[in-house]
Amino acid sequence: MEDCLAKKMEITVSEAEKRTGRNAMNMQETYTAYLIETRAIESQNEGQCSPVDSLWRRYSEFELLRNYLLVTYPHIVVPPLPEKRADFVWHKLSADNMDPDFVERRRIGLENFLLRVASHPVLCQDKVFYSFLTQEGGWKEMVNETGFQLKADSRLKALNATFRVKNPDKRFTELKHYGDELQSVISHLLRVRARVADRLYGVYKVHGNYGRVFSEWSAIEKEMGDGLQSAGHHMDVYAASIDDILEEEEHYADQLKEYLFYAEALRAVCRKHELMQYDLEMAAQDLTSKKQQCEELATGTVRTFSLKGMTSKLFGQESPEQREAKIKVLEEQIQEGEEQLKSKNLEGRDFVKSAWADIERFKEQKNHDLKEALISYAVMQISMCKKGIQVWTNAKECSSKM
Amino acid sequence: AAGVPKPLTSSGPKSLREMPHPLATSSSEEMGPALTPSPDLLLPRSIADKDLSLPNGTPVDTSSPASSSSLLNRLQLDDDLDGETKDLFVTVDDPKKHVCTMETYITYRVTTKTTRAEFDLPEYSVRRRYQDFDWLRNKLEESQPTHLIPPLPEKFVVKGVVDRFSEEFVETRRKALDKFLKRITDHPVLSFNEHFNVFLTAKDLNAHKKQGMALLSKMGESVKYVTGGYKLRSRPLEFAAIGEYLDTFSLKLGTIDRIAQRIIKEQLEYLVELREYGPIYSTWGGLEVELSEPLEGVSACVGNCCTALEELSEDMTDDFLPVLREYILYSESMKNVLKKRDQVQAEYEAKLEAVALKKEDRPKVPTDVEKCQDRVECFNADLKADMERWQNNKRQDFRQLLMGMADKNIQYYEKCLTAWESIIPLLQDKPETK
Repeated sequence: MEDCLAKKMEITVSEAEKRTGRNAMNMQETYTAYLIETRAIESQNEGQCSPVDSLWRRYSEFELLRNYLLVTYPHIVVPPLPEKRADFVWHKLSADNMDPDFVERRRIGLENFLLRVASHPVLCQDKVFYSFLTQEGGWKEMVNETGFQLKADSRLKALNATFRVKNPDKRFTELKHYGDELQSVISHLLRVRARVADRLYGVYKVHGNYGRVFSEWSAIEKEMGDGLQSAGHHMDVYAASIDDILEEEEHYADQLKEYLFYAEALRAVCRKHELMQYDLEMAAQDLTSKKQQCEELATGTVRTFSLKGMTSKLFGQESPEQREAKIKVLEEQIQEGEEQLKSKNLEGRDFVKSAWADIERFKEQKNHDLKEALISYAVMQISMCKKGIQVWTNAKECSSKM
Repeated sequence: AAGVPKPLTSSGPKSLREMPHPLATSSSEEMGPALTPSPDLLLPRSIADKDLSLPNGTPVDTSSPASSSSLLNRLQLDDDLDGETKDLFVTVDDPKKHVCTMETYITYRVTTKTTRAEFDLPEYSVRRRYQDFDWLRNKLEESQPTHLIPPLPEKFVVKGVVDRFSEEFVETRRKALDKFLKRITDHPVLSFNEHFNVFLTAKDLNAHKKQGMALLSKMGESVKYVTGGYKLRSRPLEFAAIGEYLDTFSLKLGTIDRIAQRIIKEQLEYLVELREYGPIYSTWGGLEVELSEPLEGVSACVGNCCTALEELSEDMTDDFLPVLREYILYSESMKNVLKKRDQVQAEYEAKLEAVALKKEDRPKVPTDVEKCQDRVECFNADLKADMERWQNNKRQDFRQLLMGMADKNIQYYEKCLTAWESIIPLLQDKPETK
């Protein structure tokens, strides 16, 4: 990461703002705009600070950027965007895109996305990305002018390739399988975590009822009154503490979500490989059949049963001139085909090499990040336990004074 | 070694097994060498000795000396004497299931140790079933109507919902029955009740039940609690206040009971989700190489928290809820005693009024009315004393209950804390470069 952009430039998504505007169908819509601030990182230079540049972008522009990157760098595991709609929510969280908490978490996710791209050795050098960060107007047009949409492979073609490819690279097959499994396990984890959060919330909140009833009870007691009242107060504190605890846990959930979406990016790379492999196999197959045809025409024999062979038999022999013409065309095609096959092979090998390099980089990043996430999760749990011990110890002390 | 008290061969209910069973042998001479009286020792008298005549009229026999050495040893054995000297100790333990042709039931061992003269022997061990406790309570209510009788655990259990023979249910019941007898033991009047004595000592309680002991206190015999016979003019303020207090008190306890049940329910639902949550980390660990150990660690950690939570919920169900319910029952029976008191007062007031209306020569009030007045005053005095004692015990019981609840929660969090702290090094561990 020697030359990566993140080292040269400070990037933040610092604000989010509600906007109203007109959409493509000239209908009024509300959306959120995010402020991207950038500043060149100067080496310590007598306290000089370079100016901050900023511009506003909305989520759909981020999406456009990512789609561009996906198509332009198919061998790279492209960092994912934060979720479009709130998913895996537990009941207290809003599923509303306009909800301030959701917007806040999205802001953080978008910043994270930009930092990921900016620290990627290949992606950070992209001009479109740089413009996204620095060029306010006309960026959208610029992206579309690259014509990247045309380069995109159709989903149908990709799906087709999955079933038809004969000699896939085993490593990619395994990786795709891993991506599938990872997606499945993380979404299961997130679903259940949301339910766990829901239940935990319930447990804490019901304790708040103790606060009220202890207070009412203390009113009719003489000696016990004070102890009861203060014990009840601690129950209120306990009940209230869960809100912050669960809010913090959402960050953990977001970290898991990032890798849930990363799994999809991983699978995209594998699909691209399959597609290229399929293309290669098809081209090779085509070349082989053309060569065969040529041979048959030249020798006049039908070696294998083929429709073309049958055709020529059924419709009678051609004249030698016609045959010559056909052979010439085929020879040209064969030459073209061989060149194409060569370049496709080269392409394929290059793809595998660079993809695999990025995959190794990704694996290391994933292991590091997830370990950090698990550690921070454990730290959160420890903090929650300590808070619990504190509150109940206080309650115990109050009760002891009854 | 004259004058030196020898320790009892038993030192607590456990070793009673080693002692010859008092009911198995007919002679009391087999009690062992521990009962050498040392008349030189000055011993504090029990409270009962001070009242030479109890409100119910029975005299206290103080002629036979207490077995001083065993009393001293009991003092050494018992840690919490609270400044009062106890001379009667009762324990309920050792539940056993009996399967007969007609029915299946549980008996509990009731062990008594005492220096009181009312008891022929210093130690007793009998087996009693719930019915017997119920009988005792009814007899106490009959014979000591001016006193607050402690409650028994619920008689009936919903069949199919609660397993009467499960360990938890039997243990909960045992604790409640133990509490019941201890409360009677600590009561300066009730503990001397003859029915209580019989309950603790009789080899065959059923035989006693059939005989129907003729003993009835002066109060019990003469007061007929005819409902609706008399109307109370004015309730003394203090008893009105007690009544109001009990109403609010039992309401609040009911609310607390519902809250506690709700918490347990929520905890169990939380537990269900946690039980699914933990293993997912393990599944994930199976997919990974470098992350395999950390993920397994988290899975195991969540598992440990599940166990701790299970223990917390069980404790709350077994220890917390029954005590709440006990006090709700207590309040109900206390309100009944207050009603009885009202009626005694009402009867007195009615009789007084009747006399006034007769316009007789009134140099002296008729003894009938006098007796009524006595009854009212005794009832009020007994009840007041019992209420004070009850308030104090209640405060201690709830103090212990709430502290216990806090303790259990602290223990739960400590277990979880230990689990999570122990995996931090595992998570931070850098694997060796392959």
